[in-house]
Amino acid sequence: MKEIVDAATAGALGLFGGAATAEFQRRLAAKSLCSTRCTRCRAIAFPPREFCPDCHGREVEWVELPRRATLYAFTQQQRGLRFLAPEVVGLVEVEGVGHFLSRIDAPFESLSIGQTLEVGFAEAAPGVWVHSYRPV
Amino acid sequence: MTRAAVAGVAAIPVRRKLERSVRDTAAGVAFAAVADAGLDLGEIDGLFASPPALGGIPSFMWSCTLAHHLGLSTRTQTLVECGGLTAAVAFKLAVQEVRSGRLRAALVLATDVRADERADDFEFFIRNMTEQLVGLYGPHDALYGLAAPIPYYAMSAQRYLHEHGLSRADLAPVAVALRDFARDNPRAELRKPITEADVLAAAPICPPLGLLDCSAFASGAAAAVIVSDDLASRRPRVVVRGMGEAHEPAHFAPLRAPLSRFESPRRAAAEAYQEAGIAAHDVDVAEVYGVFTATELMLYESLGFFDEGRAPAAVRDGLTRGEGATVFDPSGGRLSLGHPAGATPLYSLVEIVEQLRGACGPRQVKDAKLGLFHAEHGMLNGSFVGVLEAA
Ligand SMILES: [Zn+2]
Repeated sequence: MKEIVDAATAGALGLFGGAATAEFQRRLAAKSLCSTRCTRCRAIAFPPREFCPDCHGREVEWVELPRRATLYAFTQQQRGLRFLAPEVVGLVEVEGVGHFLSRIDAPFESLSIGQTLEVGFAEAAPGVWVHSYRPV
Repeated sequence: MTRAAVAGVAAIPVRRKLERSVRDTAAGVAFAAVADAGLDLGEIDGLFASPPALGGIPSFMWSCTLAHHLGLSTRTQTLVECGGLTAAVAFKLAVQEVRSGRLRAALVLATDVRADERADDFEFFIRNMTEQLVGLYGPHDALYGLAAPIPYYAMSAQRYLHEHGLSRADLAPVAVALRDFARDNPRAELRKPITEADVLAAAPICPPLGLLDCSAFASGAAAAVIVSDDLASRRPRVVVRGMGEAHEPAHFAPLRAPLSRFESPRRAAAEAYQEAGIAAHDVDVAEVYGVFTATELMLYESLGFFDEGRAPAAVRDGLTRGEGATVFDPSGGRLSLGHPAGATPLYSLVEIVEQLRGACGPRQVKDAKLGLFHAEHGMLNGSFVGVLEAA
């Protein structure tokens, strides 16, 4: 099953992803979590874009995000599609960016809203990386 | 401007699987809704259709297939898709064309099929589902292995409880209230009575949500006939008094906005209330798109019926079941009527129309004159609100 999911993921990323997604992935693979910042209004988008979704300026620059985050919300899936169940996911709040979905590398029962996390990385499929936060 | 009325409605019972093919099911509700309006299919001059299903089966040229099958000669024919908002947008477009005077009698037709037999081919199912989920959640969120969007709603529920000092037990009464209504609705999928203890003891799905906090995927079909009100023969006429639609720049989890209250239902309701010249407390009966217990409660608040964090107490006090100004989801709601997403907004419309006609038997809301239905897509990222009146 994993082979089918991996192949389908690669195909779908080609279809629904794009240049900014590919660059994000290249940086994740190098253990660096980055996104794009608008050179006009300074807003950091997440996920990254080749333009600014806030002011619609067309010029953006890549910036590395702070490694620390706080846990905004979390849950777990009894049956996940990709990782071993039960699978813990959360929304992590990164200062100056907002709160976004991430894998959480800790048991559900050990977590609480507001705790400090640090970014880590995991390979979801061959060559496809995700950020995975763990408590510090 | 011509006034638009909902002259005819029809819906099949919500069940896990359709009994007939999706084409034959769609044809069945089309004939039933047109007959309910006292019209003939030959008088329909507009067709506004949902895809046959919101995912999994092809929808290319489906409105053309339907029009050919039904033998419709129209002046407008279109397929609409906007996630859970799909059938509400189809309704809105039909109302607008009738109000403009261009159409006289428009058919809104929506179906959803959630039990795909082809899932029996495991390899096909996994490949197809993986691709669809990347399309659905986008190339970033999709990599975290979400299947159904339940984790997003679970985290929204967690934030709601956290911010208002509530616990999981505060979510249970609304599930019980909706199940009590569903007992009297033959269209409902889940009618066996439940208790708060049952809700709290149900299998965990994504904490804090358990099985009975969630709506079940289901199949269904519904139709409505929208006419210029001089064509509406039934009494009382059910006229469209106000509509609102609003979308936020987010898909599922918003980057910056809170998850415990929602802008899209607030904005859509404000527009609809303004057009209708009403306030939330004027509404006698409402059907809202609460696909989870916590979402149901947050919607009561975001639509302007209760202050933030107050909906659980309102439910406990019976204010949503007849002791207050407005009765919520007498159909059983998404949790117990069932949730065939592509058709869900029309199921809500059907319930409101039948309530305003006084035709709901044991679950009839007394003296219901003003009704509201709400629909949403994503996680409340976009909303529609319609206000209807018995006239
Ligand atoms: Zn900008």
